[in-house]
Amino acid sequence: MNSFRAFRAMAANEVRASVRNRTALIFTLGLAVLFMIIFGLLFGGNGFSVSFDAVNNDHTAASTAYLQALRNVNGVSVDVKSHAAAFADLKDDSVTAVLVIPGGFGAAYAGQGPAQQVAIYQAGGGSSSTAIADAVVANVTSGFAGRGHPSLTVGSPQVAEVNQVTEMDYMLPSMISYIILFSGVNYVAIGLVEKRVTHVLRRYRATPVRSRTILAAQVVGGGLTVLLQIVVLVALGTWVFGARNYGNWLLLIPPILLGTASFVGIGFLITSVSRTSESARALAAMVTFPLMFLSGLFFPISSLPTVVQDIARVLPLAWASDALHQVMNDGAGFSAITTDCLVMAAWAVVTIAVASWRFRWD
Amino acid sequence: MIRTEPMPAAVRLRGEMADIDVQGLVKRYGDVVAVDGLTFSVQKGEVFGMLGPNGAGKTTTLEIIEGLRIPDAGSVQVLGTDVLAHPGTVKERIGVQLQATALPPFTKVREAVELFAALYQRSRPVNEVIEEFNLEEKADAYTDKLSGGQMQRLSIALALINDPDLVFLDEPTTGLDPQARLNIWTVIEGIRKRGKTVVLTTHYMEEAERLCDRVAVVDRGKIVALDTPRRLIAAHAPGTTVEFAKVPGLDAETLRKVPGVERVVTDGRVSITTRMPETVLHTLLDPSAPWAPGGDAGGGAGGESEGAIRDLMVRHGTLEDVFLHLTGRSLRE
Repeated sequence: MNSFRAFRAMAANEVRASVRNRTALIFTLGLAVLFMIIFGLLFGGNGFSVSFDAVNNDHTAASTAYLQALRNVNGVSVDVKSHAAAFADLKDDSVTAVLVIPGGFGAAYAGQGPAQQVAIYQAGGGSSSTAIADAVVANVTSGFAGRGHPSLTVGSPQVAEVNQVTEMDYMLPSMISYIILFSGVNYVAIGLVEKRVTHVLRRYRATPVRSRTILAAQVVGGGLTVLLQIVVLVALGTWVFGARNYGNWLLLIPPILLGTASFVGIGFLITSVSRTSESARALAAMVTFPLMFLSGLFFPISSLPTVVQDIARVLPLAWASDALHQVMNDGAGFSAITTDCLVMAAWAVVTIAVASWRFRWD
Repeated sequence: MIRTEPMPAAVRLRGEMADIDVQGLVKRYGDVVAVDGLTFSVQKGEVFGMLGPNGAGKTTTLEIIEGLRIPDAGSVQVLGTDVLAHPGTVKERIGVQLQATALPPFTKVREAVELFAALYQRSRPVNEVIEEFNLEEKADAYTDKLSGGQMQRLSIALALINDPDLVFLDEPTTGLDPQARLNIWTVIEGIRKRGKTVVLTTHYMEEAERLCDRVAVVDRGKIVALDTPRRLIAAHAPGTTVEFAKVPGLDAETLRKVPGVERVVTDGRVSITTRMPETVLHTLLDPSAPWAPGGDAGGGAGGESEGAIRDLMVRHGTLEDVFLHLTGRSLRE
């Protein structure tokens, strides 16, 4: 049917025009790459940075040497504190984890006492840095104890499954989420309102193409632009910045598609309530900036106050970010991201339905 | 006062339907009545003009006929089809140029033509259209880099991409320099030569007089007159117009008493309508007339005595006068 040809022509024109719009491209793909450079290369050091408070109940040369071995790992800092001070730090998130060295550590190391376990305490949430902390302690402990002293172990059972996630590995899924957030809202919300204000939509409506085909082509065109940018970002992140994906590449498709759909929907919704492109821009900024900081892109959600966490967990970006981090950093399977995908799908369906219903052509 | 076009109903029954048939069209925006009961029809092959000031309801009327707006009352038949019932069928066969340029951003000229060609079942070859409108040199330029005249040519080219039977041009020359305007007039005359029906809106008299077979004078949502430009002028602006800058001490009342003066309008300038221009001018320029400067003052200056009448202009009736006559206001206010 002719309407598909019209749809394809309008959507393709939309993608081509968006790619040519350098200003918009700088704010989406450009900034994502810049953030990867800043956070990944400058702050990342050799890949990660974690800080521990250590509660030393042992006070032997062996436990001091153990802590020193831990400090020798690049990017790791260890402060020895009292039990109360250490847990206070953990509570207000000034350290990644607390290590408790048991009283018999020195004796066990010397082979003169019962086997001992170093305990790790961390705040809930399971961000990439706590995972790194687990991995570091496990490595150091086994290395330290491995020299003929199998009597020392680490308490945390999850250690063995954790990947060595670098800052760059963490940043890539974050930046995919960032592009989903910004371009979904930018290309659809602001783009559509501008086309309405400059009468481009009315000009399209003067042709025989059905109104819903015109609208769908604009929205789908915006969505395709987002996906194109993500492909470029993943290629750059993988080949230039050396980010690794511990999961299945195909599993990235559902969260990326659904995340994009939900933000295209939110952008579409903004279009429906904005009269001018200025008000669309203001609304888009009000949506995007808080979301960027509330959704675990730059630091884990678990470091936010509980009330803010609850708000963040309602919004779709946190789910997109969670699903992408789980797949890429933790190698999670589809069952682990099913909830994320369902929530995003619900957001997409509701926003697109409400926006189509409330859309104004003039 | 309203002259409806002279075609008898019987002709329509024989199948020679008008290209556009509008009956009792009404469109309100809140308390504002933008279109107030318009009835008219446009015949095949004619260039039909809608002349009126901004806000007269021309664009709204056009957009209803084009299927872009729903009227509050009335019916519109375009090319034998009810627009309200089958907008898609009508849109396939008409070409539309909107008042604003309205092209998608970051799109080149050729791409814009290709894009719009894809929106119709049937379309003309892209290159042929680009050549016809002299856009070859600009084919690879972004549309926002075009001059006003080039942009308008592109806009008209897009209106003709589907080889329509009926073309709507909404203020095709507004904002253009005189040369670009002449160029667009040639383009529109070309469209007419190909046998297409053209409906255009304008607030330029010269444009309506030169291009249009018939003109509907629209004011405040109503048609106040509809006829050929020549007949409109003959009926509503007979005789000659004498215009000059206002003179202190020479008011409309005094002027009406001057022999030969039929009508006086003081709208910024003084405008007198007469069928005896020589007599009127003789009186106006008489040095002994009460409004003429005193002889002493003139002689004392040692030069030619300056007359009271300045910026004098004498011309035959135009559509501007028609509008002035029908509404008491000037077109461009």
